[in-house]
Amino acid sequence: MEHLMAFLMIFTHPELLMLVAVGTFAGVYVGAIPGLSVTMAASILISFTFSWDVYPALALMVGIYMGGVYGGSRTAILLNIPGAPSAIATAMDGYPMAQRGEAGTAIGITTTMSFFGGFVGILVLALAAPWVSEFALKFQPRDYMLLAVLGIFLVGSLSQGSLTKGILAGALGIAIGSVGRDPLTFAERFTFNMPLMEPGISFIAVMIGMFGVSEALLQLHHVGQPAIKQKITRIVPSWSTIRKHLPLSLQTSSIGVIIGALPGTGGDIAALMAYDHAKRVTKKPSRPFGQGAIEGLVAPETANNAAVGGAFIPMMTLGIPGDAVTAIMIGALYIHGLNPGPMLMVEQPNMFWFIVGALVMANFFMLIFGLTGIKLFTKIVAMPRPVLIPLIMLLSIVGAYAVNNSITDVYWMLGFGIFGYMMRHYGYPLGPVILGVILSRLLDDNWRRAIISERGDLGRFFGGLFSSPLSTVLLLAVIAIFVSQTPIWRWIKTKLFGRNSRSLEP
Amino acid sequence: MKRVLIGAVAALALGTGAALADGYPSKEIQGVIQWGAGGSTDTVMRSVTPHAEKTLGGTVVMQNMTGGVGAIALNSVASKPADGYTLLMGAENPLLYKVMGLGQKDYSDFTPVDILARGTAVLVARPGVPFDDYKSMIAYIKAHPDEVRFGATGPGGLPSVVTAMMDSVEGKLPVISVPYDGDGPALTALQGGAIDVMPAVLGAALESIRAGKMKPLAVFEEKPNPLLPKVPAVVSFNEDYAKYLPWGPFFGVFVKKGTPEDIVTKLSDAYKAGAESPDFQKLMDGRGYTIMNISGPEAEDFLSKWQSNTTWLLQDAGLTKASPEKFGIPKPGN
Amino acid sequence: MSTHIDPDQHDGTSDATPGGYEKQRRPGEAIFALFMLLASLGLLWSAYGIAGFSSLSSPGAIPMATTAVMVIAAATVLIQTVKRPRVPGETFVKNILPGVVVLFVALLVCYGALLEPLGFLPTSAIFLVIAFKVLWRRNWLVTLGVAAFSLLLIWLIFRIVFTVLIPEGVVPEAEIIQFFRNLLSGGAA
Repeated sequence: MEHLMAFLMIFTHPELLMLVAVGTFAGVYVGAIPGLSVTMAASILISFTFSWDVYPALALMVGIYMGGVYGGSRTAILLNIPGAPSAIATAMDGYPMAQRGEAGTAIGITTTMSFFGGFVGILVLALAAPWVSEFALKFQPRDYMLLAVLGIFLVGSLSQGSLTKGILAGALGIAIGSVGRDPLTFAERFTFNMPLMEPGISFIAVMIGMFGVSEALLQLHHVGQPAIKQKITRIVPSWSTIRKHLPLSLQTSSIGVIIGALPGTGGDIAALMAYDHAKRVTKKPSRPFGQGAIEGLVAPETANNAAVGGAFIPMMTLGIPGDAVTAIMIGALYIHGLNPGPMLMVEQPNMFWFIVGALVMANFFMLIFGLTGIKLFTKIVAMPRPVLIPLIMLLSIVGAYAVNNSITDVYWMLGFGIFGYMMRHYGYPLGPVILGVILSRLLDDNWRRAIISERGDLGRFFGGLFSSPLSTVLLLAVIAIFVSQTPIWRWIKTKLFGRNSRSLEP
Repeated sequence: MKRVLIGAVAALALGTGAALADGYPSKEIQGVIQWGAGGSTDTVMRSVTPHAEKTLGGTVVMQNMTGGVGAIALNSVASKPADGYTLLMGAENPLLYKVMGLGQKDYSDFTPVDILARGTAVLVARPGVPFDDYKSMIAYIKAHPDEVRFGATGPGGLPSVVTAMMDSVEGKLPVISVPYDGDGPALTALQGGAIDVMPAVLGAALESIRAGKMKPLAVFEEKPNPLLPKVPAVVSFNEDYAKYLPWGPFFGVFVKKGTPEDIVTKLSDAYKAGAESPDFQKLMDGRGYTIMNISGPEAEDFLSKWQSNTTWLLQDAGLTKASPEKFGIPKPGN
Repeated sequence: MSTHIDPDQHDGTSDATPGGYEKQRRPGEAIFALFMLLASLGLLWSAYGIAGFSSLSSPGAIPMATTAVMVIAAATVLIQTVKRPRVPGETFVKNILPGVVVLFVALLVCYGALLEPLGFLPTSAIFLVIAFKVLWRRNWLVTLGVAAFSLLLIWLIFRIVFTVLIPEGVVPEAEIIQFFRNLLSGGAA
């Protein structure tokens, strides 16, 4: 009963409700602007809400978080520039839709599906948090490494043209991710003895450059053409559309919750994995993937919003942050005199239920703001290109600077912008580069941890893979996906089932 | 309407710093935090600064600047004019940059405004390990060489210093050192069983210890910590530790050397008052930090002692890139 | 009207549909492929320099593995590219790097160089005015007006709301903000 009161607290206090609304609204815009991140917003809110009570402060942060994760999809769809890393996959099919004048439909689906995913995440948080966190803790370095390897296989899904070029791009991404001083040993890697290389290359700077600046440079080719007319007649997707994608969205939401709950992986990886999953399981997409498939929007958007609820699971049950934003919230709880940790749920279950309530409200506000502001947003694409292009460039520059207050990041951003422009012209996919950068640390750090834990002995390392059921399952998944993506599988299939089975190949 | 809104937003975002008619601060002050958002340095700085602002009568805009174990932030502040408008909000790491080959500058290029607080190191183990205190752990490690996995956070981090202390007191311990990029991820790994023992700062492990998710083996103090009265001090197991203690990571606010003295005094007074506020004291006590709140020669003295102790300890453990001698850091006790 | 994706552009308008041709080679593509191979080789050499073949858990292990993959992939791409015939009718200057793109790359490089010494506001103002003037060709009043309005908006969001300390250069931004703050607090008191 008391828990119910805590859960309902948000609904009975208009000022708290108001703060969640304001937070969500601000979050949508923070998320939409590349370079402004929820992490930044949340850490500013710490000093801003310092003198407040803890509940209003959390209400605002929860709203920003939920809105921000969703907001990244806006610019991804409208401008082909993901506002946040978790929206990279959204651009793959969202932008082609906007190019057909279906930005309204795309945003409508994105919003509804984000709501759905967010809701699944909250549900799991509310009902199964202790079990999920226990499961998440079971992940050993070798399991994280296997997860990273699984992630690397996504290169196949993200490279529409030549797979070889995709592999080259993905490997380049991993190399970019390891530039600078190695955080584990402080050894210099790819620094060429230049001090400016030591801090490494900001992943956000690479993303903004490759998607923002290179897109703006490409648009210069079409500067004379009129903007695409967007028809925004039907925004809320029909019930049958939603029902049709229900099985897929449940699967991708589950991916989102689990990847979100793992400390060390977040919404960005979840969204990419979900996109890959959708490509694998969808037999007949509404359109081919990469040309405006609805499934290509459903998957990443359910997953990244489900990851929000997921990220709260280890935070609320163990005091372990699920991602950067929950890390800041843990700091906020400390400042407000609470002690986030395993005892929080035991000693102050109300705090848990309050956050669940706030998340539910933030999810609803996200739906409302998402479905109402579309006209204004689509005006952005309707802006004359001669105005839009320089503004994208300027925003990219400020955004890259804002990530770490570093002018070096601006140079990197510009460099990767020009490089990305050339890559696009010659058919090298950009998605795998970003994927590589995201997965670089996960792969590298955990590989080394796993090997060091086994005293550098490969035999013991492989023994370990089979001693834990979790590792074994992950290893089997890695092998299954590897085999199914390479010609070996086709060969076995023809051998076993004869020629007819070829038609079943995706 | 729009203009009123923007004005309101601006006013909210800027806070309502009272205006000072004369002199410093005549504009907003930039506070560069050496570590990322959500980290312990970040939390400490963001909670003390609003209190300091009240006394200072100005606004401090805080920014996180990460990378190079904090060296990026330090070098950035060092490149700004010494006018008191750029503060460095940092931890202990810069005192090790020179010997670790991470940079040419350290706190000797800065004037301490206030050393706010010091942390306590604690040795924790996952619940499943076959030892319950420091003594039985040492015995177990010696009986089972290369089996116990210790968490580490890179050369110069707290675990490396604590491990160096243990090596120097107990003789080289045969353990596997598994590197993590911070004590948060390492403590998570400890709870998941990926590592067995982790030297950590008390504040980071406290709640998990209370919940029984981690086993405390010893606190690295001369006396038990009031927050964990039952956990023995490491000195009670081996008195040789006394020569290194008290030791702990610390947080401080700094300005570039050459900043006018009255400005440093004004800042010191402000942060001193900030650190005395009950809110901040409660936060620090609750997380197991010892408030120091020192400035001036006292702080300078603390820094040079800390540096000489720690760098020579690491030097003797063979963990440094260059000898402290090269940088004129005296051997402790000389 | 481009209400559909123009299949003739081949410039990778969307990342999901990369540019380039399947069976032909664009101007400069072979040289780019060669550049990728040389860069990969350079990175492999640099990765070897991190820790050599010292151990599986060295900080150089994964970098060496990935750069080796890069070299193999880049070599394959180069061979495939060289074998293909040139796209008829395309030239590097017209289709890959037209004048306006070169101009904007130059503008961006100048922007990067001037940002720190000159400060964010003046650099951005100059950039926007030149860019609008080149692309938009409207009169000075409209150009200056739109540039000023959008710059102010960006500045307010980043500098005031998000307190991002963008280089202020020659403009005494902090003093100006303090002036307004004094006004506000004066008004409130």
